Amino acid sequence: MNAVEMKGITKQYPLVRAVDNADFCIRKGEIHSLLGENGAGKSTLMKILYGMTRPDEGEIWINGKKAVIKNPYQAIQLGIGMVHQHFMLAPVMTVTENIAVGNEPVKGIRFDRKTAEKQVHEMIEQYGFHISPTQKVEDLSVGEQQRVEILKALYRGAEILILDEPTAVLTPQEAEDLFRIMRKLKAEGKSIVIITHKLKETMEIADRISVLRDGRMVEQGLGLEQMDTNTLAKLMVGRDVNLSVIRENKGIGLPYLEISDLNLTGSNGKKILDQIQITVHKGEIYGIAGIEGNGQTELIEVLTGLRKPDSAHIKKDGREIKGNAEAFIREGIGHIPEDRMTRGLILEMTIEENVILGYHKRGKFAHKGFLKGKEIRRYTEEKMKEYAVKAGDSQALLNSLSGGNQQKVVIARVFSQDPEVIIVAQPTRGVDVGAMEYIHNTLLDLRDQGKAILLISADLDEVRSLSDRIGVIYDGKIQKEFLPDTVTETELGLWMTGGEKSEEVKDR
Amino acid sequence: MTGFLQNISFILVSTIVMSIPLVFAAVGGVFSVRSGIMALGLESMMMTGAFTAVVGSYFSGSPVIGFVCGMAGGMLIGILHGILSVRYKVNQVISGIGLNLLALAATTLLMQLLWNNRGNSPQVANIEGTAVIFSGIPIVGSVLGRLPVNAYVMLAVAGVSWYVLFQTRFGLRLRMSGENPKAAAAMGVRVHGVKYTAVAICGILAGFGGAFLSLNHMDMFVRDMTAGRGYIAVAVAILSRYNPAGVVLCALLFGFCDALQIHFQGGGIPTQLIQMLPYLATLLVLTFGVKHIHAPAGVGKYDDD
Repeated sequence: MNAVEMKGITKQYPLVRAVDNADFCIRKGEIHSLLGENGAGKSTLMKILYGMTRPDEGEIWINGKKAVIKNPYQAIQLGIGMVHQHFMLAPVMTVTENIAVGNEPVKGIRFDRKTAEKQVHEMIEQYGFHISPTQKVEDLSVGEQQRVEILKALYRGAEILILDEPTAVLTPQEAEDLFRIMRKLKAEGKSIVIITHKLKETMEIADRISVLRDGRMVEQGLGLEQMDTNTLAKLMVGRDVNLSVIRENKGIGLPYLEISDLNLTGSNGKKILDQIQITVHKGEIYGIAGIEGNGQTELIEVLTGLRKPDSAHIKKDGREIKGNAEAFIREGIGHIPEDRMTRGLILEMTIEENVILGYHKRGKFAHKGFLKGKEIRRYTEEKMKEYAVKAGDSQALLNSLSGGNQQKVVIARVFSQDPEVIIVAQPTRGVDVGAMEYIHNTLLDLRDQGKAILLISADLDEVRSLSDRIGVIYDGKIQKEFLPDTVTETELGLWMTGGEKSEEVKDR
Repeated sequence: MTGFLQNISFILVSTIVMSIPLVFAAVGGVFSVRSGIMALGLESMMMTGAFTAVVGSYFSGSPVIGFVCGMAGGMLIGILHGILSVRYKVNQVISGIGLNLLALAATTLLMQLLWNNRGNSPQVANIEGTAVIFSGIPIVGSVLGRLPVNAYVMLAVAGVSWYVLFQTRFGLRLRMSGENPKAAAAMGVRVHGVKYTAVAICGILAGFGGAFLSLNHMDMFVRDMTAGRGYIAVAVAILSRYNPAGVVLCALLFGFCDALQIHFQGGGIPTQLIQMLPYLATLLVLTFGVKHIHAPAGVGKYDDD
């Protein structure tokens, strides 16, 4: 008997058919990977199972019994738990409070904190989560917050766990921890659905896969024997995808972006950036590898004029750049922000507005302070075609787009303005293979046109395959520079965690 | 010397007296904001409470019934604010300010209709008792004994409210609804019910604060009786970090400004300048005092959109 059977599920949104007559089964005690490009309908299908969205048509059977799931609460009662990509937590409240709310042990009218903390503590021990029940959620790392979300589901006795792109926000180490947890849960007989478009992960963790493409279930419950990432990519995109792009650099030019003597102290007096010195040449991609939180965010902010450093010399083509973010944009420094939600886009605004954001004063889009509506529309439609942005129309709000399509809007905005220097941070975070291939190729095209590109990414594969030179950042310092061919992943990993010290230990 | 001591005890007493309506309203505001609904409408709940309390006392002759009517009046506005913001998802700033304007206009109109006078109501039966049982205590007795009984009710309300918010199941659910309504709803919390309860409590408390002004501090309703105290209560709620225990301390600060204002009136300094004091304090506090205070993350957000 299947833990979950979804039959003939259809969900029509005003402009798109998000899910089209899809069947989906989950067996008890398996890890099932639900694959698909951004906007293929994976999240919608799972939101239907979790009661966050009602299907227009179709049936859901849980453990052989037909179920009507009107809201998440009913789903939880049926033993279904979901961990969202954007966590549903109250950061200022404690781990225990977040987990217990709605199901609290009580003494009279009093919330029995002690008992709740004990229960939570026992579960933390059982799964080896290394968090404290009394910690505030805001003091936890992203990976730890995710565990709180998992605990929330388990606390309510979830037997079926849906994880929506769980590794998108995790470091490689945290992802490994998560997989360990998932295997443990599977061994206990729980069923897990993992929504993802990361193929390496699917190969590593999943028992079976299902593939959605444009709302239709193209493969259902396939085993992973005799599969590799290339066949998976082909299933998802519907065509051959070349993920391992390696393109010879035709020649690196003169130094173009020169950064020296860059220092930044945080509000707590701690050094965040320490004597950063980087030179990016014309026609070169300089990759910065490092574990998140080692100063990358601040470095990007300084290099795009968003934050004032203690000291810095930022020269473009020999000329010093100074001023605020607007000045940097005017100087032709393009910026793909690391978090498109906070720095990249205004989600409540339309594609038209977002695609000209920051460049909206240019004569092309505005005349004497008035926006040229028609011209902006024509331009936006052209860019949507060029960058393959999937959306209703150019006036669609950004928050109605999938993550990958949002990212394409950011990229379309920056690349279309022909910047001389591009600061690219996490360009493919939360983006599917099709879009990833496209973004990588575009970056390489720009490099070949002679642009100077600084790439900051938490994805080591990405840094290694695209960069012409790699600098490893640790604790606000560029520890060492490498040529990508001369360094192994392990070696990079070592430097990313404060290599020198580790090496000294080895030498002894 | 005795004159100096008298001055001190006078200022102390009026500090506490003036802070009483602020505490009630601000604690109500804390309930509202903690549940995720902005409390800008406190002014309207206070004013309505002050007015309905006088009406109740006028028709029944009993100030206790007056107070009950005051609480009911405040609650009515509170629930109205709840319906506007939960059910119709009206922008909470606008609904709050709208209600404030409505309350001012409606009370003035009703005074005209009831008593044919839009400036003030007739005198009604009020609460005059002070906590005389404390007056025997040396030194402090001269302050404690002169406080209205409601000063002690205020302390009890602040204490109970703290307990309810931070120690009970209802409080946990209320805070979760205010921090992340979607998460709370998914966990089976009846977010709407929680929010309506919270705004009702808010209205009751603010109405009580208003009733204190008209039936304890005075014995009539005067046009625009609250004179911005509802807004000051909003500031008090923020400054207290949305904690009923902190509300008492913060309200004393504003009560002190009010007391100074009363004390120095007619002392040669222009009255208008003196009367600015409480509002000036509010402005200063909002400018410099609240930088690192964050409202609950879910204020103005909904569980169902």
